[in-house]
Amino acid sequence: MYCGYKAYFHYPATFSPRLLYYTLAMIPLTDRDLILQARRGEAQAFGELVTRYQTSVFNICYRILHERGEAEDLAQESFIRAYDRIHTFDIEREFGPWVRRVAVNLCLNHLDSQKVTVELDDERDADSAQLPEAVQEVKERSEQIHHALASLPAQYRVIIELRHYQEMSYEEIAAQLNIPLSDVKSHLFRARKILAEKLHASD
Amino acid sequence: MHLTEDQLNEYLDNETSDRVKIESHLSSCAECAARLSTLQHLFAEIESLPELALTKSLAAPFTLRPSLPAKLPTFLTLTVTLQAAFAVVALIVAAPFVIQLLPAIEMPSLGNVFIQLQTQWTAWLDILSQIQMPKLPTISFQLSSLYLMSTLVVVSVLWLVGNGLLLRNQIK
Repeated sequence: MYCGYKAYFHYPATFSPRLLYYTLAMIPLTDRDLILQARRGEAQAFGELVTRYQTSVFNICYRILHERGEAEDLAQESFIRAYDRIHTFDIEREFGPWVRRVAVNLCLNHLDSQKVTVELDDERDADSAQLPEAVQEVKERSEQIHHALASLPAQYRVIIELRHYQEMSYEEIAAQLNIPLSDVKSHLFRARKILAEKLHASD
Repeated sequence: MHLTEDQLNEYLDNETSDRVKIESHLSSCAECAARLSTLQHLFAEIESLPELALTKSLAAPFTLRPSLPAKLPTFLTLTVTLQAAFAVVALIVAAPFVIQLLPAIEMPSLGNVFIQLQTQWTAWLDILSQIQMPKLPTISFQLSSLYLMSTLVVVSVLWLVGNGLLLRNQIK
């Protein structure tokens, strides 16, 4: 856990009694503290924020794009954008949802610029030989879900991501994608229907 | 009359206004209840997808990245502005008093100061002229302009090579 001591010794100019207290008591810094440090120019503090959120941000990109390399690049790009805009971030809001939204937007722009269907990467198939039977079953099922998701058209995949993983309401999704509420509903229900068909067909 | 797919979806998404109506139908209709539970199962399956691990840390560019120029906190810039304003006000208030006090201070005339400096300078020159310089050692060989020029060239070349060696990493 990052407790601020590094920042303290590397940047003695930004000494604060609060930081010293946190350092001595070994209390992990909050996201808010780290953002404030990053705003003062301490890139390392932002690095700690990245460590906290990189997996969730990467998985959003992966679920939308279904290509590991691209997903990692876009996740990286999301954090770089967030760092460049750290001074405009409202400190009263939570960092996680904000950076996740940056990632969703980047993925949407990326899909718009590409307009091609991406190949499915077979990463989840690797190393499945030595696993116990129960684990193997769970793994196979999640592969089926993954394949079913990957086969959806990109705009359906994005809506599934926003509704099921980001837990956004219909209205929030409509605002995010700039489409009418009726389209959100029809795309979402259609996507679920396709998923159900694919998953039941493979049962 | 059974519930539509849209109604079931909206019900599970908490986006419907007729919850009570739907719930009363579900309690009496086994077919719709079964459809709801299938849909619920699908939701659970979608959301059960495990997270994939990253192969590299995305934090690395930030630990290597040059830091942003730190901004001065606002209270500090405010203090500087306040101090400047204070100084201007103090100067305006003090000006009349200073003008009144100035004639009271006795100032030596500029001519006198100049004469004093000049006498001091001539005294130093006298002391300097009395100093005996030690004799320089005689050089046994004849210095020609050719020797001097070639030494100068060698030293210049050495200087250039030395600097080149020192700076070669930066040039790359």
